[in-house]
Amino acid sequence: MTSEVITAVGFGVIIATLVLLEVLGRRRTNKIPTTGEWLGYIMRPRAGRALILLGWLWLGWHYFAR
Amino acid sequence: MAAENLPAAPTDTADAAGRLGRGMPAEGAGAGPARALGVARMPWLGPQPARKLLVGGIVVAYAWVASASAPFSTRALISVLIPGAILGAIAYGRPPERIPPPESIDVAGFSYWIVTLALLFEWEASAFRAGAPWWHPTLTDLINPMLTPHPVRGAAFVLWIAAGWGLVKR
Repeated sequence: MTSEVITAVGFGVIIATLVLLEVLGRRRTNKIPTTGEWLGYIMRPRAGRALILLGWLWLGWHYFAR
Repeated sequence: MAAENLPAAPTDTADAAGRLGRGMPAEGAGAGPARALGVARMPWLGPQPARKLLVGGIVVAYAWVASASAPFSTRALISVLIPGAILGAIAYGRPPERIPPPESIDVAGFSYWIVTLALLFEWEASAFRAGAPWWHPTLTDLINPMLTPHPVRGAAFVLWIAAGWGLVKR
């Protein structure tokens, strides 16, 4: 297995973990927050809201302007 | 004769989509253009369906044009900044009805997210620090080939704008 494949698999595992956390968060039997919940919590203060929106803008610049 | 024995006056009981039982849209619910487009049969659109369809069409058209921009060009940069500016103005000037955030979140549960996101950033940073060689590509190097086809890039652009709108509503 080449290093490139290992890197890609690593990304895949991490992204799959993020999806799993979201699925688990939607089950009311555990206390893991969903993406919307923790984002909403961070965005309660004005600074957090600005930070998250700037992060969103940066993602767009990174993948669509570059 | 008691007043409570009299039958109540009939009232329209339109649901959120403005339908009245027999599938006809209620007046005052964007019935004119909405009915012409047949959106009365799409309750999932919610209120003001014609306006939502119009905005959605504009977003898709804009994404199609914007995603055709050459990378690292001024046009591409402006194409990204325009929706950013619009959503920023909406977020701070005229915010929509926001989804109520939780009063608190479980720290242990949130820590799982923190650890996983930190791993993602570290995995990405290690590739970037190594100069993104072929044997340790960055996430961008892996995703960019998937975003090369115009329709895929346009769809991703629409998703990005939709994500931004979702954040504005939080």
